Amino acid sequence: MVKTFEDFPGVQWIEGAGEFIKINDEKCIGCGNCVKVCLAGCFEVMEKKAKIESLEKCMECAACWYVCQEEAIIFSWPPGGTGYKSDWG
Amino acid sequence: MDEDFDIIVVGAGFGGSVAAKLCADAELKTLMLERSENVGDKVISGLTIPFQGFLFAPAFIRDGNPPFERPADGIVNYIIKDIDKGDIEIDDSLKVPKPLSPIIAFGYNTYCKPFCQWQARKAVEAGVELRTSTTVTNFIKEGEFIKGIITDKGEKIRAKIVINAEGSQGILAIKAGVREKYPPETISLADTYDYVMRKEDIDKIFGYSVKMCWGWDEQKISPPLGYGNGLMVWPYRSSIHFMQDQCLRTDQKSVPNLGKLFDEYHHNITSKMLWWKDLVAPRAKLRARMWEGFEIYVGLNKKLRKMPNHTDGMILIGDAAGLESTELCDGVPAAWYSAEIAAQVAIEAIKANDVSKAFLKKYDNKIKAHSIIQWSIKGRNRYNLRIAQQEHDIKKLKKYIHQGWGLGSLTHFTTPFMKLLLAYVKEDPTIITKWIKMYFRYYQNWLHENYDYVKKKVIKVRASKRVRKKERKFLSTLRFIDLIMKSMLRIRRVLKIIIIPLSNSLNTLMRKSLPIIEPINSAIIKLLNPISNKLSNKMIKFVDKANPSIFYVY
Ligand SMILES: Cc1cc2nc3c(=O)[nH]c(=O)nc-3n(C[C@H](O)[C@H](O)[C@H](O)COP(=O)(O)OP(=O)(O)OC[C@H]3O[C@@H](n4cnc5c(N)ncnc54)[C@H](O)[C@@H]3O)c2cc1C
Ligand code: SF4
Ligand code: SF4
Repeated sequence: MVKTFEDFPGVQWIEGAGEFIKINDEKCIGCGNCVKVCLAGCFEVMEKKAKIESLEKCMECAACWYVCQEEAIIFSWPPGGTGYKSDWG
Repeated sequence: MDEDFDIIVVGAGFGGSVAAKLCADAELKTLMLERSENVGDKVISGLTIPFQGFLFAPAFIRDGNPPFERPADGIVNYIIKDIDKGDIEIDDSLKVPKPLSPIIAFGYNTYCKPFCQWQARKAVEAGVELRTSTTVTNFIKEGEFIKGIITDKGEKIRAKIVINAEGSQGILAIKAGVREKYPPETISLADTYDYVMRKEDIDKIFGYSVKMCWGWDEQKISPPLGYGNGLMVWPYRSSIHFMQDQCLRTDQKSVPNLGKLFDEYHHNITSKMLWWKDLVAPRAKLRARMWEGFEIYVGLNKKLRKMPNHTDGMILIGDAAGLESTELCDGVPAAWYSAEIAAQVAIEAIKANDVSKAFLKKYDNKIKAHSIIQWSIKGRNRYNLRIAQQEHDIKKLKKYIHQGWGLGSLTHFTTPFMKLLLAYVKEDPTIITKWIKMYFRYYQNWLHENYDYVKKKVIKVRASKRVRKKERKFLSTLRFIDLIMKSMLRIRRVLKIIIIPLSNSLNTLMRKSLPIIEPINSAIIKLLNPISNKLSNKMIKFVDKANPSIFYVY
């Protein structure tokens, strides 16, 4: 199945990506850096801990992983053939 | 244990397919793995691939028919002092003048997907096995040696050498312990928008020029000076591409709220910049919005620059090797150059039956000796814009823009360019005519949308007598150039004694003479404008009608 979203035209998301980005609760200090750089709104901070709300609009840019100084974000690529794709990059 | 392949290439982006093809050309059993469903699905970029990329690219690109969207003749810089009062200066000094342009181009604008697919098809035709929808998750390691890769399906595939072309995040390079995660101040997040527009409108509003905007930070017109790339708009065939980007961290300080800032910049530029508001906005329809990070200042970080790009059994190329440029954000040339060098070294290593770190060090040495790669990863003009902003110094702002994206770039580009050019000429004296043919062929292909695999229109050969006469003249001029070049090579010694040392001082010469040459140059260009326009149109007509075979390299 392929999903699209009105706020990000021209991009499709192929299902099956799963939880390819994870947060290590023990390391997270709730600084909110990941929230600030994620243009897809994938994160929220609640009770001083970041949570992944949804990765369904994730563009796999890794900005969240770069800005997490606590190394609390465990980043990997989604399985082959899943996740975002576009003809217009 | 026996290897399944000689070479495994990870990633079929701009660098990967080139390395894979060159290895397969040398009859190495080569596998290329790509995590996206189709090649290019996940490659996001600008994109103008500048001319030096094509000139010094592997021969199959230079002498081929790759697909692109529009030739670029240069850059128009808008230096915005006060947007509300319309106080804007223009620096369009980095433009190939007519009649040379648009055929002799500054670069070529392209979408990533069709270009990467073109390269991947060339690789497959050369014998590369391509597997898409396959994410490489780790390496097979034996002691220090990388002996192959492990896929997301758990498959283990062994090879003598892995060429890692995974792109800028370098997840696998970090896993292998070769590189480390880049600090956020070296990475910029690019927010890109793609708009559909009629070709005729683009011809009028943009012509062949890329537009860049630079404004004081407090105006929030474009990303803060020196912490991003300002703002760029690329004209394509019948669409335009817009990019604004900003570093993920401003120095060692704060992480910006990028979602909010990007919306603000985009709103301000599209509602206040008159050429956008009045000309583009009524004619453009948003088709896509995407974003991707790129290595804006990795090259300026000494520690990162000095990190090895190889280990036992593995070579890193392109963005994975930290080779994105720090000034023009043109990483494709370096991806191509490093792919070619990696393939050469890998072929030698396999022949010598030595894939150790010690042997593969040759690769890093060649990268360090490559004049254009080193020039492009060390440029400081974009970074220096911070100083202009801090001091609110318009003179400095104009100076750095002129040096980075104006004719002032000749004061630092000429030496590295000429060094490489002379090395190529020494190797192959007929290269000059190959370059000329490339420019003409590329332009003809663009006019007729006639690329390998996607021939929209077949070029009909119905040349008149006049055109045929011109074709003969074109070919005899090329023969003459080849003759001169070949005979010059007979006096190689003279070249070595006079020209090569001279090329080392060309930057200094440019620095001293540009203040005098530049005004004369622009006065001449203005004066000759009517004649140049006519000549340029004549050349376009000729290219349109000429038999394509005269532009081929056999
Ligand atoms: C917004 C933006 C604008 C740019 N503008 C320009 C420009 O105008 N001119 C220019 O020359 N350059 C530009 N660049 C830089 C240029 O795009 C890169 O330098 C170039 O793409 C690098 O090529 P590469 O092969 O190293 O990596 P990429 O082209 O990124 O290719 C990496 C490939 O590897 C695949 N991959 C990654 N990890 C795995 C894995 N684990 N398993 C399997 N496959 C994997 C990816 O899907 C991708 O296909 C720009 C970059 C960006 C982001
Ligand atoms: S950036 Fe890292 S530490 Fe900060 S909130 Fe996000 S996950 Fe937690
Ligand atoms: S990779 Fe990019 S889009 Fe995806 S969650 Fe991280 S910041 Fe957001």
